Amino acid sequence: MSLRSPLGRVLGTGSAKEGVQHWWLQRLTSLALVPLSIWFVVSLLSLPSFDHAIVAAWMSQSWTALLLVLFVVVGAWHSQLGVRVVVEDYVHATGVRTLTLVVVTFAHALLAAAGVFAILKVAFGSAA
Amino acid sequence: MAGFRLPPNSRIRKGLTHRATPGAGEVRAVRIYRFDPTSGQNPRLDTFELDVKGCGPMVLDALIHIKAAVDSSLTFRRSCREGICGSCAMNINGVNRLACTTAMQDLSGAIRIYPLPHMSVVKDLVPDLTDFYAQYASVKPWLQARTPAPPDRERLQSKEEQERIDRPAACILCACCSTACPSYWWNSDRFLGPAALLAAYRWIVDSRDEATGERLDELQDPFRLYRCHTIMNCTDACPKDLNPAKAIAEIKKLLVERQC
Repeated sequence: MSLRSPLGRVLGTGSAKEGVQHWWLQRLTSLALVPLSIWFVVSLLSLPSFDHAIVAAWMSQSWTALLLVLFVVVGAWHSQLGVRVVVEDYVHATGVRTLTLVVVTFAHALLAAAGVFAILKVAFGSAA
Repeated sequence: MAGFRLPPNSRIRKGLTHRATPGAGEVRAVRIYRFDPTSGQNPRLDTFELDVKGCGPMVLDALIHIKAAVDSSLTFRRSCREGICGSCAMNINGVNRLACTTAMQDLSGAIRIYPLPHMSVVKDLVPDLTDFYAQYASVKPWLQARTPAPPDRERLQSKEEQERIDRPAACILCACCSTACPSYWWNSDRFLGPAALLAAYRWIVDSRDEATGERLDELQDPFRLYRCHTIMNCTDACPKDLNPAKAIAEIKKLLVERQC
């Protein structure tokens, strides 16, 4: 039980004076994902088949590799921003929340790096 | 963590049924959430068979009639009975609204009355609004200006400047919006909620106020402001047809604009 005043509880440790950057980046990444997602789906569907050689050849084109890298990086970034919000919404214990946010951030960085690495490997031909 | 079930001591059990007197005219069932903290028992749902012809047309009339004629222990807040004091906000047939402006004939089936959702209950239909009022106080809902007021008259506003605060200033602090907001349910200890944010907006866009920057500084916080995910239950719930969701979106826009 706490005898702190209600206003004292609400004011707490004050404003973090942060959050607009996260909000703005979430909008920017979602905006960027609109054309990137459409391009990704349309390009994949317009391939004659999903044979390894055909997809690898498609991925070795400069524009394809460039846009794929953008798609993976922006997608992972947007996902990280979104999952962060979900964790902040539902995980309330401070220690668990901080730990979850660290794990989520690292996992997204790993996924993005792995995606970029895979694209470059195919694009530069060593996996073909 | 957010829970999927109510805590054991909040689960509602079956309550009493108060039958209508024989020969009553048009009878409607009114089911009311009852909780007495001194009883040590869980809340229950009582059913009152109400002779609609015997009381006024609004849900508040039914409550007053039940309290006067059937069960004087029924507890609820009310004052103005014309939708301006905001006291009788409660959850009626699943929607947060004012009992005094809700006509019984606009409701279908049994009338189900609960206190505002996800708040501590003081007794029956009376929620604990202490933190809600503290959140309102925390946005400093008063004029802050360093320029002294003219000695011979009030601080003037143009018609357009007044129109910007006209609607937001009509908030009656009934708490229908905040208690309809899932973000407020999960994080009411840190998220200010739509009512307090609408009040903050009312002062942010007030042409006479000179603390706009400080007000925005105080709101820029992942929890205080950015827990709002534009769910818009607040705007749906407002019995005064105000738009807290839009006010919050405008605050977010101002925060972006001042750094772009």
